[in-house]
Amino acid sequence: MIKIQEKDFNIEDEINRIKLQHLNVGAVSTFVGYVRSLNNQQKVTSINLEVYKDMAYKSLKNICLKAEEKWSMIDTLIIHRFGKLNVKEKIVLVATFSIHRKESSNACNFIMDYLKKDAPFWKKEFYNDNYEWLQNN
Amino acid sequence: MIIKYFAWLKNFTNTEEERIDNKNITDVKTLKEFLLKKYPELSQYMKDDEFIRVAINLEYVTTNKTIDPKDEIALFPPVSGG
Repeated sequence: MIKIQEKDFNIEDEINRIKLQHLNVGAVSTFVGYVRSLNNQQKVTSINLEVYKDMAYKSLKNICLKAEEKWSMIDTLIIHRFGKLNVKEKIVLVATFSIHRKESSNACNFIMDYLKKDAPFWKKEFYNDNYEWLQNN
Repeated sequence: MIIKYFAWLKNFTNTEEERIDNKNITDVKTLKEFLLKKYPELSQYMKDDEFIRVAINLEYVTTNKTIDPKDEIALFPPVSGG
């Protein structure tokens, strides 16, 4: 499931909602990204996340399908927020569900690597008196 | 065709979306040539073919693909999600 939304979310609720649908889940791997207070040696006040929503849905769905082809997965959840986010707020959750640990762990890393490289989101980071558009390496 | 611009590219185009109907634009190459004339300040970023990325109908293109007038084109700088 892919969710692209402005509002915050509760990690445990989101995972439990999926886990309840699949009684054979034995492993859940997660990655959670947060807005941090220091970046580029500057104090961050907030970020604004822009998204090309239609393409983000399509490309994230494709990468989940690729992960499911590579590893035996039961389900996948990606939640990526957009709009204004303050320091400490959650940006993204990737949760992968499988029977065993290795599959979920590998798939979670694979999806995050892709997301960082290709998913059409852009961070504008605000400092005390200026801002900068970020670029993933 | 509809052209969408994202992130700091909008600083140069002053719009996030525009409709361009020009029969000389038939592929990605002719589109880029057209945009460079319209927005000369973009040239410093479009010298490197891979810096500004192009998507046609929500799919990245890395070669000189044909463009149909009904296509949705998107131009955007390197991403920074996650």
